[in-house]
Amino acid sequence: METKSKSTNKITYKLTAKDFRQINFRSLVFNQWGWNYERMQGSGYLYIMMPQLRKMYGDHTPELKSIMKMQNQFFNTSNFFNTIIQGIDLAIEEKKGVKSLETVAGIKAGLMGPFAAIGDSLFAALVPAIMGAIAANMAVNGNALGAFLWMAVDFVIMWFRWIQLKFAYKQGVNLVTSMQGQLSALTDAATLLGVYVVGALAATMVNTQVIYVAHLGKMAVNFQEQIDMIMPKLIPALIVGGIYWMLGKKHMTSTRAIFIVIIVAVALSALGILGKAV
Amino acid sequence: MGLIAIWQVIVLTCYSMYQIMDELTIQSSLSQPVWAGLIAGLVMGDIKTGLIIGGSLQLTVLGVGTFGGASKIDANSGTVMATAFAIGAGMKPEVAVAALGVPVASLMIQTDIVARFANTFFQHRVDKMIDQENYKGIERNYLYGVLPWTLSRGIPVFLALAFGGPFVRTAVSYMNENLAWLSNGLATAGALLPAVGFAILLRYLPVKKHFPYLILGFIITALFSTVYGNIGILGTTVAGIDTKFTTKFASLPMLAIALIGFAFALLEYKRSTEKSAVVAVEKSSESEDSEEQDGEIHGDEI
Repeated sequence: METKSKSTNKITYKLTAKDFRQINFRSLVFNQWGWNYERMQGSGYLYIMMPQLRKMYGDHTPELKSIMKMQNQFFNTSNFFNTIIQGIDLAIEEKKGVKSLETVAGIKAGLMGPFAAIGDSLFAALVPAIMGAIAANMAVNGNALGAFLWMAVDFVIMWFRWIQLKFAYKQGVNLVTSMQGQLSALTDAATLLGVYVVGALAATMVNTQVIYVAHLGKMAVNFQEQIDMIMPKLIPALIVGGIYWMLGKKHMTSTRAIFIVIIVAVALSALGILGKAV
Repeated sequence: MGLIAIWQVIVLTCYSMYQIMDELTIQSSLSQPVWAGLIAGLVMGDIKTGLIIGGSLQLTVLGVGTFGGASKIDANSGTVMATAFAIGAGMKPEVAVAALGVPVASLMIQTDIVARFANTFFQHRVDKMIDQENYKGIERNYLYGVLPWTLSRGIPVFLALAFGGPFVRTAVSYMNENLAWLSNGLATAGALLPAVGFAILLRYLPVKKHFPYLILGFIITALFSTVYGNIGILGTTVAGIDTKFTTKFASLPMLAIALIGFAFALLEYKRSTEKSAVVAVEKSSESEDSEEQDGEIHGDEI
């Protein structure tokens, strides 16, 4: 063991196209299989680049063991961007070998937060929201086309996930600073679209109307007709606004809000106030 | 008995086990409720009901993404069960959404937590294998994580579909006969649930910053949908009076509405990249030479 530790401080192995393919494949198909509360994607990060680590440091060397221990520590980021961090990591490790251990640990910890924030807001919230809205809108009308459209978009995203590793590897640490402006512009535009689409959806997808009709002597007042003259779809807008307000309250979770809405809807329907729009 | 055939139970269980792995890895959208509705509808022989249930639950959880590994409401399994029982036991789709889909989806949060917890065991096995330099063992124990994940979805879905049938059928027939108010109420709730999804989504979006676009999206759609809807009613009425009138009116295409929003987003993107490009040019003139120096120093050290 001790004899080897002297000899292999520098990495002689150069990553090949096959290595990148293998990392990408492992990231796309096996990432997060080992997700757990203690280290989250920790073991996943190690698993994805393990064959490359073995080639770079050599089997049964103390360097490999210490690097593997470091790569097995807590890690969690957007699974759309993890290979960007791994590309930067590999570029550094290839250059400096085991000496880079602390640098790499620092870069992993430093980058996982920002990439999680951007990745989650773009790919865990916005894409599902916009594509989900279009697909669901078609689906409730009995049309499956939207679901296929969504899948097509997701395959385009997968393609980006595939090419970003090599890009990050070549650019190294500089990538983060050069990407920042573009990513925030993209996030800004995407959130704008998200807000717009929610407005559009509130107007079409909340099929509720006031069914209460007041009888004043011989005159019947249909509330929904009155409301439609002020502004069509006003009730759905008020409901979305009301729930938005409720979600801002303390101790309110989305699951709780869903159940409150079910109970209130059943009550209002039983009282003959609110009903399903035709 | 006879509600859901054994092969249907097995196929739907397999799908539930696959969808969570898809969600964790490639994210092809197959794990989304619309797809769950489509697939469960296909298996049960009624795609339309599946799509309605899947679409409604998709809208309900529209803003619910996984953030930082928090468990989210499992609308996929909810859709599978709601669709299977709606078709198998003859429930109205809207009722199935509120009465079955949502409760199941929120109960499944618990099994998700168990799976994430169980995987800690394999994480520690990986630690041990690193010490032993057992490389195959590291990979094997990492991949064992598939077991908690798939079982967390497969077991509840299988049990509910295989044994829940008689119970659901009794409940449905009792509700239809004796509790019409509840049945209507749940249908109203089902129609209302998408509003929760929209509100949750707004919580995650910078509403204040983009508020004008919220208004634009709402007004454009509210007006057009009223116009389209009324023309549609007019068309059907005229067609009922005059058989020579055969023109069909399409309903409001949501994609067109979304494209208007896309144009707004594109304008915003152009504006902000131009802004940041100006800033970058100013910055780079200062920082470029310092970066080069930095690189040279590193080169000398090695």
